[in-house]
Amino acid sequence: MNPIHPQAEQEAVSALLAGRLTDFCHGLRGRGFRIGVKETLDACRIAGRFMATDYPAFRDGLRSLLCASEEQWRAFGPCFDAFWSRGEQSPPSAPAPMLPDMAGDSAEERARQIAGRDGEAEEGDQEGTLTTGASAAQALRLTDLSLLSAADLRQLERLAERLWRRMSLRLARRLRGHYLASRIDLRRTLRRNISRGGELLELVHAGKKRRKPGLVLLLDVSGSMNQYSLFFLRFAHALQQHFRRVHSFLFSTHLVEVSEVLRGGDLSAALELLSHMSLGWGGGTQIGESLQKLNRDYGDSALRGRPYLIVLSDGWDVGETELLSAELQALRRRVSKIIWLNPLLGMEGYEPLTRGMRTALPWLNVFAPAHNLESLLDIERHLVG
Amino acid sequence: MPPIENTVWLEQRFRAQGYIPEPALLTSLYLQARLARPLLLEGHAGVGKTETAKVLAQVLDTELIRLQCYEGLDANAALYEWNYQKQLLAIKLQEGDARSLADKERHIFGREYLLERPLLRAIGERDAPAVLLIDEVDRADEEFEAFLLELLSEYQVTIPEIGTVRASCVPHVLLTSNRTRELSDALKRRCLYHWIEYPDQEREREIIRARIPEIPDALARQVVGVMQSLRGLNLDKPPGVAESLDWALALLALGKSGLDAAVLEETMGCFLKSNEDFRVLRANMEGILATMPGA
Repeated sequence: MNPIHPQAEQEAVSALLAGRLTDFCHGLRGRGFRIGVKETLDACRIAGRFMATDYPAFRDGLRSLLCASEEQWRAFGPCFDAFWSRGEQSPPSAPAPMLPDMAGDSAEERARQIAGRDGEAEEGDQEGTLTTGASAAQALRLTDLSLLSAADLRQLERLAERLWRRMSLRLARRLRGHYLASRIDLRRTLRRNISRGGELLELVHAGKKRRKPGLVLLLDVSGSMNQYSLFFLRFAHALQQHFRRVHSFLFSTHLVEVSEVLRGGDLSAALELLSHMSLGWGGGTQIGESLQKLNRDYGDSALRGRPYLIVLSDGWDVGETELLSAELQALRRRVSKIIWLNPLLGMEGYEPLTRGMRTALPWLNVFAPAHNLESLLDIERHLVG
Repeated sequence: MPPIENTVWLEQRFRAQGYIPEPALLTSLYLQARLARPLLLEGHAGVGKTETAKVLAQVLDTELIRLQCYEGLDANAALYEWNYQKQLLAIKLQEGDARSLADKERHIFGREYLLERPLLRAIGERDAPAVLLIDEVDRADEEFEAFLLELLSEYQVTIPEIGTVRASCVPHVLLTSNRTRELSDALKRRCLYHWIEYPDQEREREIIRARIPEIPDALARQVVGVMQSLRGLNLDKPPGVAESLDWALALLALGKSGLDAAVLEETMGCFLKSNEDFRVLRANMEGILATMPGA
């Protein structure tokens, strides 16, 4: 389709209207709309086309040009009405005094100048806001989860949601590399086609299809661990689609599977339920017994197919160390990787000296902190390859 | 191909195809063509995003080229790929041929060995611009989005072995998204945007009448009434217009002429797709039937 040509002079708008449109765009920018010079120029074209003949179409046209999301789409109507009805009340007179006199210039040229100036200003502004926004977010990412207020926690959840989605996309891409290696394996191709007298009909591609790994989560919900564990569940939930199947267990004195509770759509409600459930669980943690139950009762379901095992616990164990050691050893044979996350590891000067932790260490593939969002995001690299 | 003259012309043609558009959508489509910019359509499931592109192609009497996006979609699947098997056969056939190596190479990297995928087809050689529908672009990953952005701003691609292919006429590009993730700002800025709302009572009835002319007016009213109140409930998957049409067809096939609790119970599988939603409907059955026209 033809773009609008410069010769379509009847579509050019008056200098006054161009000024008003530029103001309008500027106002929207202040409300978070992303509008550049090009959009402002297109707005002038739309105005030239519709303004005189069809006011609703002028409005619809600007809306589709300037909005970029449902929220903006809904906010646009009131903004538009407020701005343009105000304009109708004050009769068009001389251009605003702050504008330089540009009587001879074409309206579009003028809009370009005005918009250009605004555009520069916008660039600077945006950079400014982005930096402050980023540093606040950065600080939040580094804050220990147990120290957050309820309001901060909610904000962090939103931030986390976004970051995890990005991360899970990245994960998908990396895994895909294993799936669809499209390089042709020439040697195997030739060999496969010997039976056809060397005619290369069937191609063999390099790389094997790799199945998604499963994931088993063991979350300590005894006293101090509660906050970390429940937040971690959100993280695990965000990753769900990249694993064949996610089995989640809560443990303190005993082990309970909660996969089904989490599988529903409403995660917040599920977490609410779990946090009530786990509140009643006093007493010390018995990691060994819990692992034993996992090995015994879930060997055929959760542990099938060499999943990844993530344990989130501070390692304060009141059970027998022999049992813990034996069960971890058994687990080691059944899963492809044991990742132990310990929130205390984020603390300055912490050494894993508790009995339980010391016993567990030799059997772990990864021992990492998980006390803030940043450290959770860092787990990504342990989940591939 | 008839060019898009104005929105009135568009509306007539859309209605003739049985698509009753909201006026603002026509303006967006008109601007899409005038400004030669892609149009990003968002909205709830079943409000007719994909259908818009299909009807536009019919209206303009041109080809609809559809690229369904999915996670892992890459340039090979979207743009072009060489037909390796055919190339290998050609090499075999050329054995003992007197032609020079350069000639042979030129031959096997000719157009006839190129498998055109949707994007290349859309900007390829043609008389009239095609309608290119890039469906559910939010499912593709960000890498692909960046690649798409490049294509949509220049309408040209470079194939190393052949050279640059530039669109002889810029296609009408429509993208749809279900907002499973945010699209990049760059892509959004490149596009015009339109949010398709659920139709109001009046328009939804018109849509049903246009698509299913044999439906009695009273039944159409009732169907629309129930649908509109369902969308006000807190459902997992609120029914779209597509579901209204399915349901209306189902009711006709079953020979129902009016709705009551029994009929709703019997046919709710046509427009609700989960047991939780069934329960919500049952809990609100009385209220829905009470506000239904002709109850």
